[in-house]
Amino acid sequence: MEAAMRWPSWKVSIVFLVLLFSALAGPSFAQQAADSVNVVQVVGLSGVKEHAKGTLTVENGNLQFVHSKAQVVVAATAIQDVVTGNDSQRMIHGFVGTLTMFAPYESGRFLSLFRSKLDTLTIKYHDSDGGLHGAIFTMAMGKAEPLKKLLVAQGAHTSIPVQDSSSGSNPKTDLAKEQKP
Amino acid sequence: MKRSIQVFGLCLLLLSISLAIPKWRVKAASPPVSKVSAIQVLMIQSDEIKLPAEFQISLYENLIQQLEKKGGFQHVYRDGDKNAAGASDLVVLRGTVRGFKKGSEMARQVTTVTGKTSIDVHCQFTDKDGKSLLEHDLNGKVMFFGGNLRATLDFAKKAAKLAHDNFVAKSGS
Repeated sequence: MEAAMRWPSWKVSIVFLVLLFSALAGPSFAQQAADSVNVVQVVGLSGVKEHAKGTLTVENGNLQFVHSKAQVVVAATAIQDVVTGNDSQRMIHGFVGTLTMFAPYESGRFLSLFRSKLDTLTIKYHDSDGGLHGAIFTMAMGKAEPLKKLLVAQGAHTSIPVQDSSSGSNPKTDLAKEQKP
Repeated sequence: MKRSIQVFGLCLLLLSISLAIPKWRVKAASPPVSKVSAIQVLMIQSDEIKLPAEFQISLYENLIQQLEKKGGFQHVYRDGDKNAAGASDLVVLRGTVRGFKKGSEMARQVTTVTGKTSIDVHCQFTDKDGKSLLEHDLNGKVMFFGGNLRATLDFAKKAAKLAHDNFVAKSGS
């Protein structure tokens, strides 16, 4: 203990730098952490209301959905299948969107033509009793495929192989292609 | 004045009788129910029909939710749940997709009459040993409001009602 206290400051600095480097480099080798993605949980997660908004994160071998009232964690290794897809919704959706359907002179129908594209992420997983669950999330375009890659890298299974983004193909067209039979 | 009150009273009496009679008839005509306390829902299969994964999951999850919401069953087990093996009186629900037409939410909202999404599912209720107890074809559809996945909710409500009507012991019977 006394010997450690007598170390010169340059040695302490080197040790500190080595520790910092290993802390930064470690996750890229072992556990890739993703930034949180804003999603809507359409259906499936127990204890979470349908169409609940939250954030989805893949880190430490888990898929985490954080909602204002709940947090659901699913181990990546428990995921039997992960599939991406796409969908679209009205630009003006929700309660206000419903109200615009009754707007005069059929203007609600006209507004329905303006739509935003969405990515969907569908997972199947088993609980501790072996029971099969499923969950569907929607998110902004282009967000589902990176999440799927992270999940597969951390032990999730998929019936459709992960597409390689390094091939130089357009990710938008790739997303549109993935369909599960 | 007195006569009009009498006529009004008579009308009320006739109305109440006409409303009550069908209930008696339905009760007398309903078949004997096989009372079970638990149901297990297997994952919806779609071997012949190409069904997107989100529809398959939505059918399954909505079906479980509707069965739980409808009540009557003490346990609603999921596919693969180990606890289902211990249930003495268990009915197993297998769903197989026989038809699927993915419509368009935009077409529905713009034209009202086109863009219908429809799913046909063959439901088979069996006992633990696989003996068929009831088979029925059900359809889920969305014609006007809501996204395409809403068709799965429509199916789930019908399937839950079918299960409830046939396998749940009626209170008082």
